[in-house]
Amino acid sequence: MIELEGITKVYKTGSQSLEALRGISLKIGKGEFVSIMGPSGSGKSTLMNIVGCLDTPTAGEYLLDGGKVAGLTFDELAAVRNRKIGFVFQNFNLLPYATAWENIELPMLFDGKNGKKRRARVTELLNAVGLFEWRDHRPTELSGGQQQRIALARALANDPPILLADEPTGNLDSKSGEEIMAILSDLWRGGRTIVMVTHNDHIAACSERTIRLFDGQVLP
Amino acid sequence: MNATLPRFFWSEYRKRRKKAALITFALFWGTLSILLLMAFGQGMSTQFHVAFSGLGETLIMVYGGQTSLPFEGLPKGRQISLYPEDIDYLKDRIPEILRIAPESYNYLPVSAGGKEINRNIHGTTADFGLMRTQVPQLGGRFLNAEDTATGRKVAFIGWKVAVDLFGGADAVGKTIVIDRVPFLVVGVLVKKVQDSMYNGPDADQIYLPFHTYQQIDNRRRLNQIHIQPREASQSKLIEARVKTLLGRKYRFDPDDRYATSFWNTIEDAKEGMAIFKGIEIFLGIIGALTLLIGAVGVTNLMYAMAKERTKEIGIKLAIGARRRTIVGQFFLETVFVFAKGTFWGFITAFNIVHLVRLAPINYDSFGIEAYLLRPVFSLRIFVAYVIVLGTLCFLSGIFPALRASRANPIESLRYE
Repeated sequence: MIELEGITKVYKTGSQSLEALRGISLKIGKGEFVSIMGPSGSGKSTLMNIVGCLDTPTAGEYLLDGGKVAGLTFDELAAVRNRKIGFVFQNFNLLPYATAWENIELPMLFDGKNGKKRRARVTELLNAVGLFEWRDHRPTELSGGQQQRIALARALANDPPILLADEPTGNLDSKSGEEIMAILSDLWRGGRTIVMVTHNDHIAACSERTIRLFDGQVLP
Repeated sequence: MNATLPRFFWSEYRKRRKKAALITFALFWGTLSILLLMAFGQGMSTQFHVAFSGLGETLIMVYGGQTSLPFEGLPKGRQISLYPEDIDYLKDRIPEILRIAPESYNYLPVSAGGKEINRNIHGTTADFGLMRTQVPQLGGRFLNAEDTATGRKVAFIGWKVAVDLFGGADAVGKTIVIDRVPFLVVGVLVKKVQDSMYNGPDADQIYLPFHTYQQIDNRRRLNQIHIQPREASQSKLIEARVKTLLGRKYRFDPDDRYATSFWNTIEDAKEGMAIFKGIEIFLGIIGALTLLIGAVGVTNLMYAMAKERTKEIGIKLAIGARRRTIVGQFFLETVFVFAKGTFWGFITAFNIVHLVRLAPINYDSFGIEAYLLRPVFSLRIFVAYVIVLGTLCFLSGIFPALRASRANPIESLRYE
């Protein structure tokens, strides 16, 4: 499902260049729950951003469902982010002016789904994350755990087969973190492919497999 | 873009409208200031022009004088006077003359309805009315050729004379008595702005057919002759030919500057036009600078507001928004904010201009208010303003969105 071959990412600032990823090769199969671990600066988030089509590699090849991502246009990549991959960020990245309902609804609006389908799906997701009562609240009116649950619901709006979570519990208290992990585990059991970045061994233990990064490389 | 996205954009805009209100107000204020500045400037320039033409356009007035040079054995210091027969004499010999009219006047008592006043009474012909913008009020007329030919006892009076003698009542058809001779009022002058005059404004004058006038003032000599050339460019040529012909007739040197004198409004108008042009250029510069200051302020605000939404663009791109969706939203918002601010600025300026124009002008003592209270609203300036500021606003409002939507979403997501 996800195949990376020799992925390199170099950041250039003026005359300086920083190699964040150095020839990463890995495969993640359909329905796997993989965690990515490594110290700060090891390239975990960079790798997730490339897998999530939020960033492009400097070199190497990324195949998603057997197709080359490098060959996709800007709008085709947008469609991948919209339908194939759901992304959960450490800092939630919810739209501050939009309500919980609207934040979850937005990916479906971008996908052109009709109002009836959207309403049914948003209701289903709000119930699934236990926040239906909070649907008209803005992110600033919600706790961190609630915000992350809304972000998770948004990532699932178009029912994507892949869910990427970049330190989804990093900004949460332990109880909220556990709630999020319980939802992720349920989603995996439901057949979804999950890739999660974490610092926490306890959290990583929920996954089937752990990929460890160090200095932009996969540790054997 | 499906039909529901604009609705979502609208709801997003409404949530941010407090921030957008600052830009809307800046646009409103900018539009109002520029339109009012230009309207009052244009109005002032127009009123200058109107006041200048109050006396009459393309007009040459010829006066007699006193010789200052000896000529063909005749001494200097001789009095040169103009006479009624000079009208035909000049008209027959100068084909460039379109109209010519004599004018004599005297300060005489006038009475009507028990009131008596003293006013300047003029004797002239129908052409005088055309040359000297003697426009009658509705229901009246100026003197015509038949009045002069048959020596009718009719009078055309200034609007102030009508007020002085008849109060607010219609003077046409009423009788006035000038130096014990009754005259029928056939017309009253409209209120007009006039900044050039001799013997006071036309509002205070009374005009009689030339031959009729001669019956109450037995002096034969004229006070002046009015000439209108066929082409304004012929005015200096006509002046020279009048000097030559009168010099020949009354035996004075055509180069004698004091034997006759001229008031050439065409030459004055050239100076006046230079002043009007100067005012217009000055206002244009002020307008352009004001527009520039407004544009800098508004585009800065617009750019800052769009820029601070970079992260929002990143989030939307991350969850699958297409480029055209992002750019489309910013485009619609920019157009809406610009249209809203500009519309209210336009409406307010338009109404202020029309309200100010309702203010009465005191034609009695033609003062500063006559120049200030007649602003002219210019749609041309508004259109130019919309094009210039609209383009700048559009570019500054949409540029950050264009740039963000061309980069990888992660770059916008990292923006703080």
